[in-house]
Amino acid sequence: MNELTEGRPGQRLLMMGNQAIARGALEAGVSVAAGYPGTPSSEIIENLAGVAAAAGIYVEWSVNEKVAAEVAAAASFAGLRSLCVMKQNGVNVASDFLLHLAGGGTRGGMVLVPCDDPGALSSINEGESRHFARLLEIPLLEPGDFQEAKDMIKWAFELSEQIGNLVMVRSVTRLSHASGNVELGPMPDFRPKARFRHTGFILDPRQGAVSSAPVAYKHDLQQQKLEKAQDAFENALFNTYTGPENPELLVITASACNLYCREAIEILGLSDRAGLLKLATTWPLPNNLVGRYLEKTGRVLIVEEVIPFLEENIKILAAELALEIGAKTIHAKRDKTLPSVGEMHPDHVIAALAKIFDLSYEAVSADYTEKAGLCVLAGAPGRDLTFCPGCPHRASYWILHNVLALDNREGFVCGDIGCYSLGMRETGYFSLKTMHAMGSGTGLASGFGKLGPFGMDQSIVAVSGDSTFFHAVMPALVNAVHYNADITLVVFDNSGTAMTGFQPHPGLETDAMGQSAPAVDIEAVCRALGAQTTVCDPFEMDQTRDILLEKVSGKNGVQVVIMRRACALSPARRGRPEYEMYLDPQICIGENCGCNKLCTRVFKCPGLNWDDQNRCARIDEVICAGCGVCASVCPAGAITRKKRT
Amino acid sequence: MQVLGPGDLHREVLETGLCVGCGACIHLCPYFHTWQGKTAMVFSCNRQKGRCHAFCPKTEVDLDALSRLAGLGEYSGDPLGAYQQIFAARAGDAAVRGDFQDGGTVSALIGYALETGRIDAAVLTGKKGLMPEPALVTRVRDVAGYAGSGYAAAPTLAALNQGVNQGYQQMGVVGTPCQMTAVALMRENPMADENFSDPVALTIGLFCTWALDARGLMAFMEKRLPGEEIRKIRIPPPPAEILVAETRNHAVEIALDEIRDLVLQGCGLCPDMTAEWADVSVGAMEQNPGYNTLVVRTEKGRQLTADAAAAGYLEVWDLPQSGRGCLERAAAVKKRRAFGRAVETGRVNSEKIGPAVLRVNARALEKMTAGPGGAHE
Ligand SMILES: Cc1cc2nc3c(=O)[nH]c(=O)nc-3n(C[C@H](O)[C@H](O)[C@H](O)COP(=O)(O)OP(=O)(O)OC[C@H]3O[C@@H](n4cnc5c(N)ncnc54)[C@H](O)[C@@H]3O)c2cc1C
Ligand code: SF4
Ligand code: SF4
Ligand code: SF4
Ligand code: SF4
Repeated sequence: MNELTEGRPGQRLLMMGNQAIARGALEAGVSVAAGYPGTPSSEIIENLAGVAAAAGIYVEWSVNEKVAAEVAAAASFAGLRSLCVMKQNGVNVASDFLLHLAGGGTRGGMVLVPCDDPGALSSINEGESRHFARLLEIPLLEPGDFQEAKDMIKWAFELSEQIGNLVMVRSVTRLSHASGNVELGPMPDFRPKARFRHTGFILDPRQGAVSSAPVAYKHDLQQQKLEKAQDAFENALFNTYTGPENPELLVITASACNLYCREAIEILGLSDRAGLLKLATTWPLPNNLVGRYLEKTGRVLIVEEVIPFLEENIKILAAELALEIGAKTIHAKRDKTLPSVGEMHPDHVIAALAKIFDLSYEAVSADYTEKAGLCVLAGAPGRDLTFCPGCPHRASYWILHNVLALDNREGFVCGDIGCYSLGMRETGYFSLKTMHAMGSGTGLASGFGKLGPFGMDQSIVAVSGDSTFFHAVMPALVNAVHYNADITLVVFDNSGTAMTGFQPHPGLETDAMGQSAPAVDIEAVCRALGAQTTVCDPFEMDQTRDILLEKVSGKNGVQVVIMRRACALSPARRGRPEYEMYLDPQICIGENCGCNKLCTRVFKCPGLNWDDQNRCARIDEVICAGCGVCASVCPAGAITRKKRT
Repeated sequence: MQVLGPGDLHREVLETGLCVGCGACIHLCPYFHTWQGKTAMVFSCNRQKGRCHAFCPKTEVDLDALSRLAGLGEYSGDPLGAYQQIFAARAGDAAVRGDFQDGGTVSALIGYALETGRIDAAVLTGKKGLMPEPALVTRVRDVAGYAGSGYAAAPTLAALNQGVNQGYQQMGVVGTPCQMTAVALMRENPMADENFSDPVALTIGLFCTWALDARGLMAFMEKRLPGEEIRKIRIPPPPAEILVAETRNHAVEIALDEIRDLVLQGCGLCPDMTAEWADVSVGAMEQNPGYNTLVVRTEKGRQLTADAAAAGYLEVWDLPQSGRGCLERAAAVKKRRAFGRAVETGRVNSEKIGPAVLRVNARALEKMTAGPGGAHE
């Protein structure tokens, strides 16, 4: 049974924040959900995809966030409720469309859920999506716990339909990925029919064409919608206040920080001195409501993640109301009471409160960092992040590193985010030298590839994952081909047999809902774009190295090399080692001249260990995935492989 | 001669640009590789001592030690090194014909040595376009296919190490003076390996004033003669000061000044023009195109030359005194230049090891540096 669809109204379940969001969308009668995978957002689409058939909804992993927004918007234009999900930086990708969408308005309720990652636990940025709400001039909601995560989604759909525009519900890692009790609500039994009405008067918001033009007229309309939302916010029950009638300090917070503030106030025993205003509607601010609470006290602490968004908006409001409510002392990030990078934490809030109330409470003992450091050194062995045993990326980077070293012109690799970002570290032999947004590796390479006339004679390689290829590499590749940049693009295609279990992308024959779908062939795409394209197997190291050497060293425009090999964790390979491995300690050269532990010191597959006693390498049969690659790494032929039948 | 590790080799020889791409450090292990004329260390090995450093002719060269190894005592500093005989020579009728660089003496001698089982494989250098490629040759009829030299530095000795890995035990090696130096260092078993046995049975050195950077030469020719296949490169004797590139239907003269920048930096510190540590050394014969100058140094070299001549593989004549004088003057100039630079840059008998440190006794040093172009100028 899937509790997401079959949980009864009134039932209380322990739910992950992302599950609660998914359930909220189902309770709201969502028809279409689209997104692009990215931590911490992925489980929302995954959960919805899992129940798509049962719930009668359409769910897709779109090629990128902009397309996801467009797919969801289409459903809205046709009168359906739709959800669009992405991680924080996905909003950057989608923003061009979103700006136009917000200008023209929506019909069926449409909710955008970005999941931010304060502290960049699974990202290479801690960018914020909240600012997009202000930029796009759309309402912003921030659930403060798991129940709200569900309930506010439902409310967001209603609000969206009420004002005729997109509504953003922002989550964060600690909400999306933590779990709490959620009481379920009823599921709808009515589903509207999809129809895009376009035959009415051109400016008719429900029957005409949809567009953000004429801009002045539509922009004015858009701001009226925002004011309508603001009015609704004044009475929203999700905005709560707990504390004394006239607190010495008013703490204003939102989102997961709500939980930290509650904890901090409780620990310090300040519940009768400090009041907590938890805002769920953070843009536009409900002016009257916030003004009412500001009036109660002279001192304010604002707690939020990551950069001062709430703080700035409240300060503007406080300035506007100053004559009526008096000047306020506002502590937050700009006066350094709280840090403006990284995750918020109960200890930060405790420290801030202790300082404001002049309490001697040490949230963290002074020598904590020192002690923690010692514990780490004594307790855990120093380990760097590493590719899995049998990972095709290790073999691909090994080849790339060797090729660039042999080419001997200080060549380098431009990349972006994905498993293969580890190419920046030892496990990828420090090959990756630039890492930015999805597709940026190829775009940068395209630019580097035109610097020859300025004396640049280094080899330029871009790397891309298969999903990234579709997401944003294709336009950059077109650019490189058209301008004849001298670059080699290496596509790490680890999908081949990776069916469901992995988030599917257009290169695979299965879609998010498990249905079969026509696969888009990367190789054919590259050829059609006019790039010389070769498919290689990274596990055939010598052969692939020679091919890549020719490509990298020649100056013949764009070359594409597709490294095709399924991920070690793919269902097709997992638990099914291809080879039986044997390491002959008699042949192993070990530390002597001629090897010096190439396999365990440099190649570093976790399946290989150094046996200090016998002074030779050995294979750890538990960890070894039987990929057979180390047999071609060993210079002595000490490692042999036998095909398993 | 003190042996250090690959890190030192990388820092002192590769990074300083003194590497001449000889190939002595290639195929010993997974760390050093050569590709298109350039030597690369692909990962760091971390050993404190290694064959790569020990074999490299650009770390340090102790001429007295090499001289003693050759059974000669202290290094003399004579322009042509120690030798028994000097001939004018060319391939005889019994030798397989090829597109020889000069008289074909080298190909003839190697062919004869293979034919008579004196060697079990020959370490030669072929070409792919202008790019030199080392080769291990075991059949007499294949030798002529490697005739002709390209003036681009070649990783010839990679094939020697490969031969060792494949178990050949009596190889004949043809190479430039720096390569002959590396071979002499290898044969000394500098790492005191218990299982060592000398894999080399014959060394044929080529005269050499300098070698060109292979990638640079290819790029230069591609610019100068776009799309044309260059079949042979010759350097006519002085005072011509030109290089001749022969294509299928014409010969293009290029002033040496135009390619001066392509000369390897490491060549400027090499004092050896006539491959003093080889069994025999072979060069062009200035006055006589189509013939070679053949310097016979060791007993093994003398026997080989005599037998090859008797068998009709080689034709030899005594070299006229004037030719010998020319040769000595040219060789002395190379010594004087190299030692002049080495003294200037503090490389001669320096306390420190490498890069390109030359060690030699005071008497020989005095002899080599006296005269125009040297440190005493
Ligand atoms: C870099 C270089 C510089 C030279 N400079 C001079 C000079 O200044 N004065 C002079 O008199 N002679 C010089 N020579 C030697 C000359 O070019 C001839 O090789 C020599 O005269 C032998 O001629 P041959 O007809 O007997 O050779 P062939 O019978 O044609 O045989 C040539 C042999 O040279 C070997 N060889 C070819 N290319 C290379 C290479 N790049 N490195 C090492 N071995 C190679 C081949 O294995 C082949 O066996 C130089 C040679 C080289 C390679
Ligand atoms: S690479 Fe081969 S020779 Fe070297 S330590 Fe590993 S098993 Fe031994
Ligand atoms: S076969 Fe070798 S490279 Fe592959 S997983 Fe096992 S130990 Fe690692
Ligand atoms: S020390 Fe030995 S193993 Fe290490 S790089 Fe040198 S030759 Fe190779
Ligand atoms: S000169 Fe020869 S041995 Fe020395 S680093 Fe270069 S290729 Fe290796």
